[in-house]
Amino acid sequence: MTVHRRPRSLRTLTAMALAASLMGLAGCSSAGTPAADAGAASSPRAGGTLRVGIVGGSAKDSLDAHSPVTHPDEARAIQLYDTLASYDVDHKIQMSLADKITPSADAKTWTVHLRDGLKFSNGKPITADDVIFTFQRITDPKNPMAGATALSGLERDAMKAPDPQTIVFPFATAFATFPDIVTQYNAGIVPVGYDPKNPVSSGPFMTESFTPGQQSTFVKNPHYWRAGQPYLDKVTIIDFPDDTARVNALLGGQVDAIDQLPLGQVNVVKANPQLKVLESATGSWLPFTMRVDQAPFNDPKVREAFRLIVDRQQMVEQVLGGHGTVGNDMYAPFDACFPQDVPQRNQDIAKAKELLAEAGKSNLSVDLVTSAAAAGLVEAAQVFAQQAKAAGVTINVKKVDPGEFYGDQYLKWTFSQDFWFTRDYLPQTAASGFSTSPYNETHWDDKQWTDLVNQANATTDQATRCGIIQKAEQIEFDRGGYIIWGFPNSVDAYSSTVSRFTPDKSGIPLTSFTFRNVWLNK
Amino acid sequence: MSNGTPTEAITKTGAAAKVQRKPGLLRRSLKSRRTVIGLALTILVLALAFLGPYMAPHSPTEFVAAPFSPAGTGGPFGTDNLGRDVLSRFLAGGQTLMILAVVATSLGVGLGALVGVLAAYRRGWLDEALMRTGDVALAFPQIVLALLFLSIIGPQLWLLVLMVGLGHLPRVARVVRGAALSVVERDFVKAAESVGIPRWRIMVKEIVPNISSTLAVEFGLRLTYSIGLVAGLSFLGLGLQPPTPDWGLMINENRIALTISPWSVALPVIAIALLTVGTNLVTDGLAKAAIGSDQGVKE
Repeated sequence: MTVHRRPRSLRTLTAMALAASLMGLAGCSSAGTPAADAGAASSPRAGGTLRVGIVGGSAKDSLDAHSPVTHPDEARAIQLYDTLASYDVDHKIQMSLADKITPSADAKTWTVHLRDGLKFSNGKPITADDVIFTFQRITDPKNPMAGATALSGLERDAMKAPDPQTIVFPFATAFATFPDIVTQYNAGIVPVGYDPKNPVSSGPFMTESFTPGQQSTFVKNPHYWRAGQPYLDKVTIIDFPDDTARVNALLGGQVDAIDQLPLGQVNVVKANPQLKVLESATGSWLPFTMRVDQAPFNDPKVREAFRLIVDRQQMVEQVLGGHGTVGNDMYAPFDACFPQDVPQRNQDIAKAKELLAEAGKSNLSVDLVTSAAAAGLVEAAQVFAQQAKAAGVTINVKKVDPGEFYGDQYLKWTFSQDFWFTRDYLPQTAASGFSTSPYNETHWDDKQWTDLVNQANATTDQATRCGIIQKAEQIEFDRGGYIIWGFPNSVDAYSSTVSRFTPDKSGIPLTSFTFRNVWLNK
Repeated sequence: MSNGTPTEAITKTGAAAKVQRKPGLLRRSLKSRRTVIGLALTILVLALAFLGPYMAPHSPTEFVAAPFSPAGTGGPFGTDNLGRDVLSRFLAGGQTLMILAVVATSLGVGLGALVGVLAAYRRGWLDEALMRTGDVALAFPQIVLALLFLSIIGPQLWLLVLMVGLGHLPRVARVVRGAALSVVERDFVKAAESVGIPRWRIMVKEIVPNISSTLAVEFGLRLTYSIGLVAGLSFLGLGLQPPTPDWGLMINENRIALTISPWSVALPVIAIALLTVGTNLVTDGLAKAAIGSDQGVKE
């Protein structure tokens, strides 16, 4: 599973969502801990060590706040570095190190105000200078970090600190998604002079030991700003490249929680009273990607025909074992502006055949390049190949090694697949919708759509922006290059001795790896 | 035939040896109970693999129930990771393994025999060159070489066959050379050379028939390895592409649910185990019978 990480981490260059309205965010106060906890029956208990088995990891594992690559990297970054704001379990932005993020009227300037009394793990106060250093480090043109592309409009040399708790971020153009960008886990705040090999922490834990590709141990940060948190004394994160080993470690009690429980093991875990399954509906998606600039998909009729071939309910049932929801060829389902009134596209083989005949592509034969880069990709390819037979379309499934999938040909395959975590519409378009986007798998370059999205990015009024976004989504529904058949649930597992893991819409496992909220009942 | 020319004498001797050896080898090997059991197991699995596709209750790619349904739901052995009937996929998934293993073995044993006989017959620098090259090739584990090339070029069936077959080549060549060395020194070979019979003809008509028992044993042994290797490479995703049913692939796709839907893994594992045990027993029987067949040459 290490293979899918490079693109995913790079994708997190862009923000996940424009969750709250810009004006609504202004003056938003601190929220602290998330809301309800499904599993917590007791009050928090201090102490203990949480051992977590996380998929993947390699000798390239890193503690760098701004370039997490593997899943364990992400988990470590979230323990070590707090961000200015963070998502709650409902994918709404809540303030974190900042207590206020305010846009100017034209959304070209954003002002961030830090909380009082913030300190790094070494006792040094967290100040505006550290925040400026952080974002200058992320956007360093000589060594751009994972979040750099999303912040390409930031005038990095013009950032100012009017006082030690206030930072002004100027942008070249209106930048409505700023709060989402600073909420990403790859935008953690680090001190001036930060050394990733000996990191000083702004998050709930600090490093005790770290062995790349194996495991890392973190201890409580005594200067952490959230009262009483973290509850745990220690967190040990163990890399598990193999699904079976990870599940066996949980079953055998060597770890207290694991991410990405394989579908085949859900019932095994459910049958064990000592274990619990943590399932969250998410906005993650596993699209088929059709290159709109190459035959046969340069004909919109072929694209529509392929979308009509898919039996989406069967996809969810067979690929996800029912652990997911049906998609309608539009992404960002948790976006406040997501169009709810677009009719669900269902399988229509007769219509698909008709469209293919009109396009002169009856009895089409197409290679579908797939890889085990994410759970469900290879399975979805097989189900689609089976469904396509009914329309007289032959799908030749070409399973390649994940290294090859994300190699030189990545983003060049004519018909392939990919995966994305939960994002709102505008941040997602920045990642994959523009001709200049880093992950435009479908080579989508539609002028009418581009104009609309640019207009939406510069619009601060939410109602107006939603209207524009819905028009853009409609264009993608009509003639886009994605087949979005469903949104898989995130399924993790943990010991019943652990409290406070909560379903979370982000798609990031184990409640977005926020172990500061978790305590042990043993 | 009565004038006693060397050619006739050789032909007569060779023919007599063949007549005695061929039925003798088979008959002798079948006298052993283990050979009969091995043959029965092999025929059983072969019959399953080749007749299975016609007996499958569903298409191997048809979705019949929820993924990993237990035995009895969707089919007598439950369903696999995509909700397809395990029995149907099992019945449809063995044929390719058999064909690939037999073709790869034939290739490896055929080329290995050629190299071995050539080296034994020509000796000299050619023998040295072929055998030392073989030594170098033997230094690399067969599966590592196969993995290397399949990873570089991509999973292609022709490459799979080639890699498995070529992996056998140096091993077969070494054994065949050893067996052929004792044959090339025999008088009938020298006699054939003295009357000007072409060398290729001597190799094909005089030497090869006299090492056929060795070749038969070697074929059986290499076939056993081929089955394991092809199934192993399929398991690693370097064989047939999904959704094609294949025993190795089935094991890989479903192993995560071994505890709740064991048949999708157990059936192909049992079949591969029976087949390898079966071919091994037959080979063992042939090897034992072959000890007697050497005497035919001496006569």
